[in-house]
Amino acid sequence: MQNEQEFSKEEGFAIIQSMINKVRNRYSEDGHLYLLWGWVVLACSVAQFILMHYFHYSRGYMVWWACWLAFIYQTVYFYKVRGRKSVRTYTDEIIKYVWIVFLINIILGGIVLGIKMGETQHNFINVFYLISYAVPIFLCGIIIRFRPLIIGGICCWLLSVMSLFISEEYQVLMISAAMIFAWIIPGYLLKKRFKKSTE
Amino acid sequence: MMEFKDLDPILHSQLRLAVMSLLISVKEAEFTFIKEKTNSTAGNLSVQINKLKEAGYIEVIKQFKDNYPQTTCKITQTGIRAFEEYVKNLQSYLGVSKKS
Repeated sequence: MQNEQEFSKEEGFAIIQSMINKVRNRYSEDGHLYLLWGWVVLACSVAQFILMHYFHYSRGYMVWWACWLAFIYQTVYFYKVRGRKSVRTYTDEIIKYVWIVFLINIILGGIVLGIKMGETQHNFINVFYLISYAVPIFLCGIIIRFRPLIIGGICCWLLSVMSLFISEEYQVLMISAAMIFAWIIPGYLLKKRFKKSTE
Repeated sequence: MMEFKDLDPILHSQLRLAVMSLLISVKEAEFTFIKEKTNSTAGNLSVQINKLKEAGYIEVIKQFKDNYPQTTCKITQTGIRAFEEYVKNLQSYLGVSKKS
């Protein structure tokens, strides 16, 4: 691009418009973390169900410790890969805070339910998580205008209502279903869209 | 009668206007990203970024990441106001030329 060259007022507008479009049409979400968490939580929820249902192992919830590994991986990934991003948009910034709020909510919610309800929290914890999952997924779908995420968020809400009518033992499978609809399917679609935009 | 204001000479330059238009749409951008999107040379871009910085329109952050120098640019409040004023003035010029 030339610099001091004379240009008309119309050309000035064209420059502004083309630069804004170059940033607006950029897809920065590659779906990697959606797939990571989708598969980890799906594996944990199915493993818990199998251990409790088929092996009658009462401490099946221990499988969720695997999430810490995913959390460590995510921290390293953010530092190594996302830290190298050459541009940070306002959309990236808003999405970051949506996920921070989600994380605070599920940790605090889990603690409060545990303290207030003791052993009986198991009856509600999965419903609580399903309702909570819907919020960041639905909002991210709206923010990046990506319909599969919006549908995924709505699925989480529907699954939370459905889980009120099934036994606690099977409720964990609602979490598995939520992962497929709200994380894994949108994750692969995001990956596909990202690949296409970088070709 | 409509009064015309002179267009800001700092912004009325192709490359500087392109840089400001990019930075108005994002929170911050690296030098390499701006260079790629504006199709400019590193030398020319560097000079124009310095002019924008001297005018107080952008903030330039130089740091090291993984042992490599990294230059990040960010628009300032003064820059946002100047850009808005420039667009408003452009609109008033174009509005009149369309009427006449």
